[in-house]
Amino acid sequence: MTITAAPQAPPDRGLRYFARQQTPWSWVTLGVGILALMALFVGAGAILTAYGWTQKCPPGSKAAECTTTTPLVEGLLSPELGALAVAVIGVGAVAAVLALLRSRSVPNKQAREAAIAGAVIGIQAAVLAGVLLWFRGSNVEVFARNFLDVRLLREFFPRFVSGAKNTLILSVLGAALGFFLGLVLALFTLSKRAVIRAPARLYINFFRGTPLIWQLSFAGLGVVTALRLGFFSGTGGPYKVAIAVLGLNLAAYSAEVYRAGIQSLERGQIEAARSLGLSYLQSMRFVIVPQAIRRVIPPLTNEFVILIKDTSLVIVLGLAFFQKELLGVGRDIYNSTFNATAWLGSAAGYLIITLPMIRLVTYLERRLRSGLTSVVG
Amino acid sequence: MSEPIVRLQGINKWFGKLHVLRDVNLDIYPREVLVLIGPSGSGKSTLLRTINLLEEPTEGKVFFEGQELTDIHTDLNAARTRMGMVFQQFNLFPHRTVTGNITLALQKVLKLRAEAARQRALQQLGHVGLADKAGAWPSQLSGGQQQRVAIARALAMEPVLMLFDEVTSALDPELVNEVLLVMQRLASEGMTMVVVTHEMGFAREVGTRLIFMDQGAIIEEGDPRAIFANPQQERTKSFLSQVL
Ligand SMILES: Nc1ncnc2c1ncn2[C@@H]1O[C@H](COP(=O)(O)OP(=O)(O)OP(=O)(O)O)[C@@H](O)[C@H]1O
Ligand SMILES: [Mg+2]
Repeated sequence: MTITAAPQAPPDRGLRYFARQQTPWSWVTLGVGILALMALFVGAGAILTAYGWTQKCPPGSKAAECTTTTPLVEGLLSPELGALAVAVIGVGAVAAVLALLRSRSVPNKQAREAAIAGAVIGIQAAVLAGVLLWFRGSNVEVFARNFLDVRLLREFFPRFVSGAKNTLILSVLGAALGFFLGLVLALFTLSKRAVIRAPARLYINFFRGTPLIWQLSFAGLGVVTALRLGFFSGTGGPYKVAIAVLGLNLAAYSAEVYRAGIQSLERGQIEAARSLGLSYLQSMRFVIVPQAIRRVIPPLTNEFVILIKDTSLVIVLGLAFFQKELLGVGRDIYNSTFNATAWLGSAAGYLIITLPMIRLVTYLERRLRSGLTSVVG
Repeated sequence: MSEPIVRLQGINKWFGKLHVLRDVNLDIYPREVLVLIGPSGSGKSTLLRTINLLEEPTEGKVFFEGQELTDIHTDLNAARTRMGMVFQQFNLFPHRTVTGNITLALQKVLKLRAEAARQRALQQLGHVGLADKAGAWPSQLSGGQQQRVAIARALAMEPVLMLFDEVTSALDPELVNEVLLVMQRLASEGMTMVVVTHEMGFAREVGTRLIFMDQGAIIEEGDPRAIFANPQQERTKSFLSQVL
């Protein structure tokens, strides 16, 4: 007799299963919590938009002809917004109370999770509304003028774009130099010959042991001026110095990353390569380095994110107007307007560049982790 | 008797203070299937790896096809293309396909054209019964299949000597046979082989000469059947009584 097992589908644990497990009580709790948060964001957005974000100016007019009051401040201080905040606190509290009331008679895990989620979201909305109320009590006028001047961002938008462009150029070229040099350095530190290892270690320790801002200042203000290096002089000089120093610095850090990646491979890989007659360099080039690169892509991307932010340190080099990167642009605008919104513009620029990279690191790490067994094979 | 392919002369090896090989002298002749057995840590792997100089002996000379490998003027890479080695852990290159594993050294060392290398790889894969896995990745294969690819990779170089280091020890029991069969066929085709193994059945049936090692020294040497039936040394006796 043969026993054929009936084909069995895996238990359905998707969103629909989750929905089926809910009770009216858990639905209501979840719904009220979400309602509180949505009301806060949508409501506040609608109220502020109704009042307006920036001064209204007649088309083709000068700044002096614009309305004098700041609509954003009026919106923030409006009774409508105050009422909304109080209402949100109330609704959020309702979600929390609903969750507490029936928490003992919850029928299953899914319903409990939904109720807890509703309560937590409700409390988050209430806390945010509370912060908004507290903020309304402070000097909104001054804050909005100094930090929320959207008009300034609009006016200097091309400058910020130019700053972002320079930040990108500095970090991409610095990374190209650093990642290449780092690999060479890593191979040197792994040499069996002390005379090759020692200088590489010295280099790495020097660049890791001194502040980048010192390296930039020393190279830009000391070395280049004192030695009159032709390549690094002229208007493009400081810019080239910046790229060179950022690259040399990154090389030291990425060398350590490469080295760890190479050492994480099993000895058997190079032994197999050598036993086939490949030379040491061929084994490195065709067997070891390609595998190591795969493993070090996430940590190297991380180094790249750090480099993007570190480009801000080139501010010590005194770049020309059109060479300024995001922080330099922000500082220039602040110095001419005395409006701190300029700093926020820089921050927004950095975030627009770095956030996708940070997401990429997380994604790569997750992919590598799940594929690790098959990579090691 | 003909000239030996391999001659080990007065080999001593220390790892730090650990004396791993003691005064080993050994000649290996064409068409021999030399089987190395012995307790764990007795130096079998180290001895095998001394033959292609993956381990450098602290003292002594290694000759291969009449050429002294321990002489620093010898082109070691060229000599290694003529001996294949197969490892316990397979050591396939995970970033290359099955065919890519085999063609790498053919192209980069033997300087074959891509198409010629591919042809030779396919031919070798056919010999180990894996023609249908040519495009697969190592991680997609079972342990036994990976080990057969490793053998094909070594054979594709058309070596005159094959070194096997416990190539079935990392395999699930049901996969051991498919690898042993490939090795047995290779032996019957006249390949010179040095085999470190714990498979006593294979040692007895396929081996033409058996060496028992203990504590870095060759204790007993001779015809496998004779030694299994009637070991001369006490240590051989007690080792065999434990593994048989
Ligand atoms: N690279 C190394 N550094 C230090 N000691 C080593 C090294 N390789 C091997 N040894 C030591 O040398 C001795 C012999 O090792 P070897 O691998 O040759 O033994 P083996 O007979 O192959 O054992 P097994 O059956 O466990 O594989 C062991 O004590 C081992 O710990
Ligand atoms: Mg061993």
